[in-house]
Amino acid sequence: MNARHGSIRAKRITYKTIVYVVCTFLALLSIFPFWIMFMNATRSTYEIQQSSISLVPSKYFMSNWKILTGKAFSPMTGFINSMTVSVGVTVLAVYFSSLTAYALMAYSWKLRQAFFSFIMAIMMIPAQLSSIGFYQFIYRIGMTNKFTPLIVPAIASPAMVFFMRQYLMAALPLEIVDSARIDGSREFATFNRIILPIMKPALATQAIFSFVGSWNNLFIPLILLTNKKKYTMPIMVSLLRGDIYKTEYGSVYLGLSLTVLPLFVIYFMLAKYIIAGVALGALKE
Amino acid sequence: MRKKSVSYAKYGYIFSIPFVVAFLVFSLYPIVYTLVIGFTDLRGLGVKEYHFLRTAEGNLDLFGNFRTVLNNKTFTTSLKNTIILWTANFIPQISMALLLTAWFTDRNFKVKGQGAYKILIYMPNIITAATIAILFNSLFGYPKGPVNDLLMKLKCIDGPRNFSLQRWTARGVVSFIQFWMWYGNTMIVLIAGVLGINPSLFEAAEIDGATPTQIFFRITLPLLRTILLYVLVTSMIGGLQMFDIPKLFLNGGPDQATITSSMFIHEQAFSGSYLYNRASAASIIVFGIIIVLSIILFQILKDKDEVARRKYLRAQRKAARRRVNS
Amino acid sequence: MAKRVRTITLVLLVAILGVSLFAGGQAEAAKKVINVWSFTDEVPKMIERYKELHPEFDYEIKTTIIATTDGAYQPALDQALIGGGADAPDIYAAEAAFVLKYTQGDAKQYAATYKDLGIDVDRLLKEADIAQYTVDIGSNERGLVALGYQATGGAFIYRRSIAKDVWGTDDPQVIKTKIGPGLDKFFEAAEALKRKGYAIVSGDGDLWHAVENSSDKGWVVDGKLYLDPKREAFIDHSKRLMDNGYHNDTQDWTDAWFADMKGANPKQAFGFFGPAWLINYVMAGNSGGTKIGEGTYGDWAVCEPPIGFFWGGTWVLANRDTKVKDAVAELIEWITLDSSETGLQYFWANGTLFGAGGTKDSVASGTVMSKSDGSLDFLGGQDMFEAFVPAGAFATGKNLTQYDETINSTWRAQVREYTAGNKTRAQAIADFKRMVFETLDLPGN
Repeated sequence: MNARHGSIRAKRITYKTIVYVVCTFLALLSIFPFWIMFMNATRSTYEIQQSSISLVPSKYFMSNWKILTGKAFSPMTGFINSMTVSVGVTVLAVYFSSLTAYALMAYSWKLRQAFFSFIMAIMMIPAQLSSIGFYQFIYRIGMTNKFTPLIVPAIASPAMVFFMRQYLMAALPLEIVDSARIDGSREFATFNRIILPIMKPALATQAIFSFVGSWNNLFIPLILLTNKKKYTMPIMVSLLRGDIYKTEYGSVYLGLSLTVLPLFVIYFMLAKYIIAGVALGALKE
Repeated sequence: MRKKSVSYAKYGYIFSIPFVVAFLVFSLYPIVYTLVIGFTDLRGLGVKEYHFLRTAEGNLDLFGNFRTVLNNKTFTTSLKNTIILWTANFIPQISMALLLTAWFTDRNFKVKGQGAYKILIYMPNIITAATIAILFNSLFGYPKGPVNDLLMKLKCIDGPRNFSLQRWTARGVVSFIQFWMWYGNTMIVLIAGVLGINPSLFEAAEIDGATPTQIFFRITLPLLRTILLYVLVTSMIGGLQMFDIPKLFLNGGPDQATITSSMFIHEQAFSGSYLYNRASAASIIVFGIIIVLSIILFQILKDKDEVARRKYLRAQRKAARRRVNS
Repeated sequence: MAKRVRTITLVLLVAILGVSLFAGGQAEAAKKVINVWSFTDEVPKMIERYKELHPEFDYEIKTTIIATTDGAYQPALDQALIGGGADAPDIYAAEAAFVLKYTQGDAKQYAATYKDLGIDVDRLLKEADIAQYTVDIGSNERGLVALGYQATGGAFIYRRSIAKDVWGTDDPQVIKTKIGPGLDKFFEAAEALKRKGYAIVSGDGDLWHAVENSSDKGWVVDGKLYLDPKREAFIDHSKRLMDNGYHNDTQDWTDAWFADMKGANPKQAFGFFGPAWLINYVMAGNSGGTKIGEGTYGDWAVCEPPIGFFWGGTWVLANRDTKVKDAVAELIEWITLDSSETGLQYFWANGTLFGAGGTKDSVASGTVMSKSDGSLDFLGGQDMFEAFVPAGAFATGKNLTQYDETINSTWRAQVREYTAGNKTRAQAIADFKRMVFETLDLPGN
């Protein structure tokens, strides 16, 4: 009896040890590139060229900062522009994807299945080529240097609709909708006040992904935003790389580091919803 | 007592309007344009006129570009690579993500500091692909670089190796980077899915004396099926469109060992000859492959819940009709 | 009530978002505007400087800078040229890697000829003694449409201490006869260096830049892929460098390559092929010092290369449809053809554009270089123009195509496969031809 108890305890200890060792290893692996990036932000271009990886800082932070701000990089403008675009994209994408998914999940309408198949099909179109058509179109209608073409298309985010649908399918008992109706709640209000809170973990997850994706998005903004005042942070970093002959790598890494900092903040803010979790059960009890 | 016909179907349409409008305004034209030029002779910069392909005799020959692309060895190589690279990164990715999900949602053993772990594990997804590619390039530098130095110190090799010339090393590194950038993302999706499961189910199982392993395989996994379908389909789509890392890491090399179908499409269109029509045809072929694979996935992970839901909604509609009729 | 508040807030939010998105299109003042597109701030800064020097030049300069490194400069520039209108570029810059597309390739129709702008091209070209290769690259059947300000003719940049050790002298006049002319002499020198334990170059890429731009014809002739005998021979040169250990087997722009500039690899590399910018922007900083005697700083000299070539450079073009022709002409003439002491190139050569003590660079105009002082501490006080004036004349600009970036990287990758022993020579060449055909639809010969 005791021996069996002991072996169970030994097993549990081994299990816990493995969990902590693996998680710590993975965490260190995740910190590594950030560490290199921050270290390189304090090193001179030539130090970086001589050996691109260093675990210890150097003393060129201020000179990198001077090079950075001496070029087209103005952190405040970039930050505000990036924020506008990313917040806009995230809010629109998360809200309207949930709404669309709710339409697919809670109602019975004739084109429902067809509409879902259609959304899936759009999601599967390779993005490579339709981007050419996209910016030709934006140039033609004269919408360059505006944030609209970067933000508004987010209303139609097929992959996110798909996720929200899958999430609702597992997490939304239709009885809740019915009881809301009996209480006299109108459909739109039901969605806003009952469904959205249920979806918090899903919303937070997708908000993070959408924010990160939009914040790091380079190629389309690079082509559509050609006016200095509209540059986002990644565009500014890309400008620092200028041409290969005389790239100031130290300041590039500093720019990259600055770009990533706001992402940390946003991520930490949203992460609590994933970590704590507002589970459905809590609502029912 | 309100006496209103309670057909809610119209809300399905109303709530879908924003999506449809945004799609029609911003995405329809680019997509249709892309699809159409695959059947035409459109190539070259700034060319606006194009014609559907014809044979020398003047008959319509809509699939000429498709034939050319399918006979293109670089294209078939790129497809093969894409599948290898995707499989090699997806299997470890989903396994690791599931394992971590099981650990972090284990109700008997709360991993201390799991909040920090979850945040850290997702972090590689925050850095841009360009930064990561440069980092790995430097790590595998030749004739001097950290990996070479380390292996030489450990006496695994006696002289520096040029890893960028080894096909399978290159593929392995690309797959590893993809795995490492995305397993945290997949894990978060799965955890969000678990959080959506009704906790009373777990409680009931615990009362019945189920072990954590049993709970994970008997309750968590089956209820995660809808989210797993999402993970499988989106990562398959993402995998078949893999572009940044293979492009930035070794530009598809060595000897086309890591060129992917998206890189092929990109090169057809942008590397000097502006073969837009062929790029488009290749896109359509990839699109077709994705659709076929998705349908298979949907069949395997059969939308059981969707079927149940359909029944429920139908019953509701009938009930509503009865109420109106009576 | 709460519901209504929420709805109103939502509507307000959306409205604010909408207004902020569409705002910002206010009417510009009626000031005359010149749109300048470039991939670095180099040309825009010159133009700003011109405005400072000429207060009567009353134009507003609107610059658009998009880096080439992420591959977005060309698509954006193409769309802007195709789109036309008020935001279309008036002046745009192109880099050697893709200038051909804008001067002779698919986008040549958008470029104005310098003559149409009203520039007295023939007289000024002679007066300034512009290096022929830059003119060749900038011309098409309509005439001259682009010129540069920088000369990127390449020289051989070598370590004085190693030269003394091997040949007993570091005199450029002697060393140039040791390493050239021609690659046979070059390989003799490599053997001599090897006997003393040195590598002649850092990697085969160094030699490639010289071979690429000294070949007689470019990659494409009459719509077909053409493998110039000189470029084909590179595969053998590369193998020879490898098999005999004449280099350190580095790749350009990687850590080990930069390390050779500092002399930090176990086997010291003798020299690099490169233009003046390589000295200024790459080698000087990587030499491990800033004064003579520190690191390899001051231990370098330049001499004429065994084969003539150029590497890189920026060309300046004007839009055919520009509404401010005279102003554009004035700027372009000042940048590319003015050989006086108030022209851009004089400032550029002497490093005085933004005050004394700037970086000295070789320029397109031979006239300007001959009256400028190109002595550098990095070169132990040598006047670099001694080597770069003949280097500019030595280079040819008749072998560029708009496909170069893609074809070069394909070719070098296959050469690497062969030298590493993964493939036979014939197989590497056959694969190269197939890949070019499949990617660019250029049939082989």
